[in-house]
Amino acid sequence: MIRVRAPFLPALLVVLAVVAALPLAVNNNSLREELFLMFMLITLASSINIIMGYTGYVSFGHIVFFGLGGYFAFYLMQNFNAHFLVAALAGAIPASAIALVIGVPILRLRGAYFALATIGINEAMRTAINNFEPFGGAVGMFFNFSVYDTYGGARNAALLAYGVMVVVALATVTTSYLIRRSKFGLSLMAIREDQDVAMVVGIDPARAKVVAYVISSFFPALAGATFFFKNGIIEPGVAFDLLRSIESLVMCVLGGTGTVAGPIVGAALYEWLRGFLITTPALANFQLFLAGLLLLVVVLFVTAGLVGWLRNRYPVLRAYIQ
Amino acid sequence: MRGITVALALIGLLAAACGGTTTPGAGTSGQATVKKDLIIGFTASQTGAQNVASNKQTEGIKLWVDDVTKAGGIKLKDGTILMPQIKSYDDQSATDRVQALYTKLINDDKVDFLLSPYSSGLVKAAAVVSEQNGKVMITAGGADDATMEQGFRNIYQVYTPASKYLTGAIDLMLKLDPTIKKVAIVNEKDSFSTSVVAAAKPYAESKGLQVVVNQGYDTGTVDFGPFINQISAAAPDAIIGGGHLPDGTTLAKQLYEKKVSARFVALLVAPPEPTFADIGEAAQFIVGPSQWETQTKYSAEAAKTAGVPFYGPTGADFTTAYKAKFSAPPSYHSAGGYAAGLTLQKALEDAGSTDPEKVKTALDKDDFMTFYGRIKFSTDPKTHGKQIAHEMVYVQWLKGSDGKLATQIVWPAEAKSADPQLRK
Repeated sequence: MIRVRAPFLPALLVVLAVVAALPLAVNNNSLREELFLMFMLITLASSINIIMGYTGYVSFGHIVFFGLGGYFAFYLMQNFNAHFLVAALAGAIPASAIALVIGVPILRLRGAYFALATIGINEAMRTAINNFEPFGGAVGMFFNFSVYDTYGGARNAALLAYGVMVVVALATVTTSYLIRRSKFGLSLMAIREDQDVAMVVGIDPARAKVVAYVISSFFPALAGATFFFKNGIIEPGVAFDLLRSIESLVMCVLGGTGTVAGPIVGAALYEWLRGFLITTPALANFQLFLAGLLLLVVVLFVTAGLVGWLRNRYPVLRAYIQ
Repeated sequence: MRGITVALALIGLLAAACGGTTTPGAGTSGQATVKKDLIIGFTASQTGAQNVASNKQTEGIKLWVDDVTKAGGIKLKDGTILMPQIKSYDDQSATDRVQALYTKLINDDKVDFLLSPYSSGLVKAAAVVSEQNGKVMITAGGADDATMEQGFRNIYQVYTPASKYLTGAIDLMLKLDPTIKKVAIVNEKDSFSTSVVAAAKPYAESKGLQVVVNQGYDTGTVDFGPFINQISAAAPDAIIGGGHLPDGTTLAKQLYEKKVSARFVALLVAPPEPTFADIGEAAQFIVGPSQWETQTKYSAEAAKTAGVPFYGPTGADFTTAYKAKFSAPPSYHSAGGYAAGLTLQKALEDAGSTDPEKVKTALDKDDFMTFYGRIKFSTDPKTHGKQIAHEMVYVQWLKGSDGKLATQIVWPAEAKSADPQLRK
């Protein structure tokens, strides 16, 4: 029997690109705004998936890199008039360097201890920035609106930010796919299943985990730079918002951890559901209740997430959905 | 996902198709009147951290819409009558939600004008979207100075900016006791309180005061022991600072329990709240700034003295109508919401049109008094739209003749309902 390998990644990227182009085609700014958030969440959820889904390390405070990337980039734009694209890249690199420095000690921890350590790091970073005057301390930093004139006005800047966020999301998904298909990805999954056995078969878990952690920190940093560029204001509370971190985890679980498509489906579904519940008058009062109920159902009955459930229920789909 | 997105797009198109309606009305006194809906959009925090104050603000806005509707709408010079309608969503007190929903309000719901959400952080987020889309927004509930120093052209602030929150308290303190020399500043380390203190500290120093303690504490602090020890060691004559309701209340309570002997204590946000009374004796003599209080007496006479027109209902009428509708007294958040509506109403009447450019010109020129106080916006390009005329009032918890604690307005002198007192 000849095994057909479905062109999963190109198909996925095409679908995402078509969705991303939709608001531009129909000239609908509010749809664009919804999708901006959706692509940001896809980036966050897919990044977390690399460390949580593939490697088995639940990074509760992963939002710390979103905040750091945002702060570094904002600082460069504010004080050195750096172009946004330059600042975003230049901001993401030190954020990943910090991931390397903190990753080495904390990835030695396992299970709940690692999760707790990541929360601690996020909170410590928030407090540190809160007292760090060059970054504006508790007040944060803000642009004068004339900054956007460089990009052809605030409207065009928002459009640019959208484009960049889409590219970042696509890059994250591509990276996630490539890792999953690679030997490196296999070693991560081996660590997830049993770290001691992985060591016996010749994997260097310490090194593999740190590499995965650094990669998974890079994209949230870019997303943070883009988000706060568009926002025009950055503050410690918003930049290091633990709730957003937890939401990204929920999206992963909802869609299916350890799969490429899972975090995308989870992020899209979560964001759509939230938007729908809030703006539907009959349901607006129950939105949190309904969202909680849905999460409960997924955690109790669909533990593999939606994509995982589909793959388990219809094994034939495994060739098509990663 | 494609289906979801298409559905979203369809909802968007549908909403766009069902825009405002126009109903020609019967002509009166020869001039044809045309009734038009005026869609006012904003988000409110029905859930999340800002829930309580945001509800109060929304109630203020609703009361304004009611009053305008009862009065037969906003009448323009060309005979058009504008009937305000509210379009509002829950922002969950989250900034990214605010941005998505304001974009929706502008593009899908095609609102005519915007009012703001509650709290500085959310106002900032909404202001950015409003500015990007060139939509006029009147903000209530955001006092942060930074927001109004971003070079906005379409945002107008009704609240007195944060930088003025404690400067009046310093004036009051020195008027009350000119011998006060040493002051301790202890504040929450968040955006709002930090910007208040950043303005109050140099102001105190310019008045010849010596700042003996200058400490920030983290949001959520419950034990002020270390700070109080530091304050006691420095033996200041006065303490100013605080942050929000929970920490301000706790700080006041612990200052009382540890018998800190400062003669004057002024704290942010917490003192004007009725629940501040829960700490009993510890509340006595504590001073706090407020945008507005039910006892505030801005009247037609006061407006005349100031040389500006008085506009809208009196404070007493507002309070009575509010209590009748919502069965609770209004807070300054409610008054702010109502005042934001009034400001828009006056600008529309002055402009004689809903054209945003004309309304902006009217807002730039505006200088008037309402029950909430005087309203005038900065026209300096750097701080355009910032509130420059509205004054804070200062309340103090004092015992009445019945021995019960209640808030009294003690500053400014022309608005006071009781004489200020030093702590004993």
